[in-house]
Amino acid sequence: MPPKQSNPKDPLISDDDEVLQAVILSDSFNKRFRPLTRRKPRCLLPICNAPLLDWTLESLALAGVQEIFVICRSYATRVKAALSKSKWSAPNSGIKITPIMTAKETFSPGDAMRDIYTRGLLTSDFVLVHGDLVSNIRIDDVVRVHKERRKVNKDAIMTMVVKEAGIGHRTRSRGESSVFVLDPETSECLHYEPVMGYPRKSVARIPREVVTAHPRIEIRNDLIDCQIDVCSVEVPSLFTDNFDYGDIRRDFVHGILTSDLLMKNIHCYIAKEGYAARVQDTRSYDSVSKDILSRWTFPMVPDNNHPADHAYEHIRGNKYIPKDNSVVLARTCKIGPKSLIGPASNCSEDTTITSSVIGANCVIGPRSTISNAYLFDNTVIGADCVIDRSIVGSNVQVKDGSRIERGCLLGDGVVVGPGAVLMPFERLMKKDDEGEDSAGGDNEEEDEEEDSDEEDLEEYQKNVKSILGEDSNALVWPRGPPEDEEDEENVENFTNQRFMRLGDDLSDLDSDTSADSSADNSDSDSDSDTESVTSVATSTSASHVPTTPTIAVPSSAAVAEYEFRVEAKQSLERAFAEGHSVDNAAVELKTLRMASNVPLSRVREAVVGAIVERIKIGGEVAEQRKEIATVISRWGELINKIGGVDAVETITALQFHCVGSDRLPLFGQILAALYQEDIVEEEDIRAWHALSASKGAEVLPGLEADNIKKCWTVGERMIQQFDEQESSEEEDGGETDEGEGTTEEGTTEDESEDSD
Amino acid sequence: MGPEVHSASTQKLVDNLSAKLRRRQIVGSRAAALETLLILRQIVSKARFSNIDQLVEIIRHAGRQLVEAQPKEHTVGNTVRKVLHHIREEYNTATHGGALAQPRSAFSIAKFLVQGQPRQQNVALKSSDNNKQPLKENDADDPDSFAKGLKPVLMEAIQDVLDELETVYDNVSKNAKDHIHSDEIILTLGMSRTVEAFLKSAAHHRNYTVIVAETGPSYRGHDMGKALSSSGISTFLVPDSSIFALMSRVNKVIIGAHAILANGGIFAVSGSLLAATAAREHSTPIVVCAGQFKFTPLWNLYHEYGALDFGDPNNVLGFEEGDLVDKVDVVNPYYDYVRPELIDVFITNYGDHPPSSIYRLIKETYDDEDIEL
Repeated sequence: MPPKQSNPKDPLISDDDEVLQAVILSDSFNKRFRPLTRRKPRCLLPICNAPLLDWTLESLALAGVQEIFVICRSYATRVKAALSKSKWSAPNSGIKITPIMTAKETFSPGDAMRDIYTRGLLTSDFVLVHGDLVSNIRIDDVVRVHKERRKVNKDAIMTMVVKEAGIGHRTRSRGESSVFVLDPETSECLHYEPVMGYPRKSVARIPREVVTAHPRIEIRNDLIDCQIDVCSVEVPSLFTDNFDYGDIRRDFVHGILTSDLLMKNIHCYIAKEGYAARVQDTRSYDSVSKDILSRWTFPMVPDNNHPADHAYEHIRGNKYIPKDNSVVLARTCKIGPKSLIGPASNCSEDTTITSSVIGANCVIGPRSTISNAYLFDNTVIGADCVIDRSIVGSNVQVKDGSRIERGCLLGDGVVVGPGAVLMPFERLMKKDDEGEDSAGGDNEEEDEEEDSDEEDLEEYQKNVKSILGEDSNALVWPRGPPEDEEDEENVENFTNQRFMRLGDDLSDLDSDTSADSSADNSDSDSDSDTESVTSVATSTSASHVPTTPTIAVPSSAAVAEYEFRVEAKQSLERAFAEGHSVDNAAVELKTLRMASNVPLSRVREAVVGAIVERIKIGGEVAEQRKEIATVISRWGELINKIGGVDAVETITALQFHCVGSDRLPLFGQILAALYQEDIVEEEDIRAWHALSASKGAEVLPGLEADNIKKCWTVGERMIQQFDEQESSEEEDGGETDEGEGTTEEGTTEDESEDSD
Repeated sequence: MGPEVHSASTQKLVDNLSAKLRRRQIVGSRAAALETLLILRQIVSKARFSNIDQLVEIIRHAGRQLVEAQPKEHTVGNTVRKVLHHIREEYNTATHGGALAQPRSAFSIAKFLVQGQPRQQNVALKSSDNNKQPLKENDADDPDSFAKGLKPVLMEAIQDVLDELETVYDNVSKNAKDHIHSDEIILTLGMSRTVEAFLKSAAHHRNYTVIVAETGPSYRGHDMGKALSSSGISTFLVPDSSIFALMSRVNKVIIGAHAILANGGIFAVSGSLLAATAAREHSTPIVVCAGQFKFTPLWNLYHEYGALDFGDPNNVLGFEEGDLVDKVDVVNPYYDYVRPELIDVFITNYGDHPPSSIYRLIKETYDDEDIEL
């Protein structure tokens, strides 16, 4: 036998660069698909007759991923079993898949990331996706771009893949979208804000630093966030360091971008080619199904590379019929465009099927109409039924003459009819024996939850308006918002969920959407800081600025600021009392600032104020001066360590603090001490002096203005001295200032009482 | 040791290639044919068999799997059929002493007058000077002896097919100067390597002009235009919409093909049907340049809607046109089926042929029993 040839075309020899790893979070961490997901995880729900997870795996395989870790939580054993049965575990699949069972206590993607970190599975940059992704994007290109960027900039820890889509795009979730602020040159993501459908958001707050540091920014709300993230190895460890990060977008990305401790960058990759979307909710289930049937996901379409290896024939009008001739289609049945009929299904006379997916082994009775509906495997529909915009689980029986209106979800094994009439958005599940529950037993927690739910359900059945029919075994789930809905801010709130619901046209919500959207643009501009407003207006991509509803966050800023001031004061007092090192005190302040999200200038004011208050008043002139010098030399450094140096602002803060305090006479001395300690320079004093605000120009005339003016004159005198020094090389710095200070002491004390 | 005994390594090769074909990581008829051939060579070199039927079954099995993976790359199946044909031929030579030792030069209309009638296939011409001991099948003493004896000739035969594939562009274009005359205006579509080689070869002898249609929605015509103008041919790139208007000035339409069907029709890049119909209206000759590996022994493919290979509609209507995506069904077929009536001549590496004689070439190239793999 000739030796194995080492031709470069040889498909056996893979590229010699490192293995591309991926992590799939197979759990959804929410319950939007219930009751369909009562007995199986969402990632095993079929979409176009193949489990979602298989679509995800195929998407990754298409992108050249070689090793995949699947993080399973709910129904972990089922996911594991499904994986081991699938073609992916075959020795020749070319992909190594490792299911990872994570603890039941994993409640958020953040917990899962921490789990990954503790297991230490990842060796290099990896791709993080969710178990409900359908994509044909070349992720390996993104990884290449990411790695290139990492070579230059070690802090570029993550690249998010986003896809351009119009505002009204069916695949773009209105309930859960986001505003990205991007630098068009480097595609760095500068700011991220999550947007919900409800409560509506009309203001996106963009930090001033973003606008000042970048000459051009793009503010975009027209992107589908596919939640494909190319992450560096340190991402899981960052989750571990920040134990409160839950959601990858709302917490992690937002946290990293607003933190100036971490100094990490996140980039965006706007995919021009290719398709990517997540099946996050029933509405996107519908739109992704339609996208697959309209071949947007090519080469993953039913007639080519179908993840479950079904072979379909593509017929004009994007209809798909199995190739193996196992389907029975009556002569008079009508199959409309965008339909997929599963193997061994049977459509009887005069049935009409449009834009629907029929699973395997389904039977559709005569004269039934199915439009925009999704039927899972082994479902039997009787004669003269109407099913519209609904998802029907597997092994369901809909008996003769039933009507299922839009938005209904029928759980596995439900029987309704004959003659059932379901109201729109009804959710049905099978009444089951308790025995079955415990037998399934791998998910005690969820079972417990259900038990409590079920008791309420029994109560609820009395006021159900839908007619279930006499043979029904179904329980109707409560509709409308739960009474104890605590948190409107949560993405999972009821009204927001409506944006994600299949078949909901939101007519009642849309009316106020249009009313607000006109006011919306002006709203987002009327930000408190003028600088950012101008930049937004002039930014080149103003055309991209969408008119989507954005929600005004209740102004908790004032409260936060007050709290911060109190906390900062306490923290500094502690530092003074216990003699902390300057560095430690600085770190503590930074943390505080992070926690209450206040601008840097507030911190500066607080620090300057605390230091000034630290100086004891009284004693001889010399003693007083010595006191000031000791305090400033010990703590003055802190002013510049809080996260930014701005000496002019320091002087202004000092001035305004002194104005409102009994230490007004010390202003000149303190300023001189700061000058001695090199915390402020001569130029800074000049710059401050030149500011109109330091003269008190913006304050109404009165005591306060007078005091401001006084401070300013002190400064002026100092500058005169500087000038003299320069000319005569003579120095007698503080002497005159001091005299000035003491003479004015009496008056200032009264004023300070007034202003308090 | 039946034919189903597939060594794990060859199975892995086949799986690997079928995954790549399914995921469209290998596209283009020549690339697919080359990959298939390389895999078949490996399979033959590793196969263990004691008679010809086992070997054929091993190859057919692999071929079936590859064809199922991507039924729209017809050259995969064609290559398998061709290799099988060669294997049988070599086998006949080896066992019956060169039964089919006829020259492989095929029938061509250029030789029609000289040759008279095309030859019948499989004429048993026993050569008398048989100095080699025929190979013995199913040898009980040494089951591998048959394989050992046959393999070297088989590898040689596969190498011939490979060589043919590698020189296909040169062979197609060797007579280019007979087809293109000075100061002619040629219209072409899309990016076909065969057509490119053909036009470039003609440019050595003739001075002529090429009009390249952009060929939306893939716009591969841009690449073609660049390639031609870079080798000094005077080239115009025109929008597809002006094809009809320009046709009255065009002397010849030269297009490539994705597959040539047994009835003489072709699958070619979408837009070809438009150009061909316009050309017919003006009685402009339509020339198809293609390698022989594109001959596909199927004739009824055009009944199938899906055979046109519908791709991602993104190129036709961008995904970002959010509102429209929901309301409009967009189709983006890769290929057009061009009927044989619209084609005047095929220029292949096996000579020039009218559409009506394609079926004969196909019969000569493949064995009848392989038409269904």
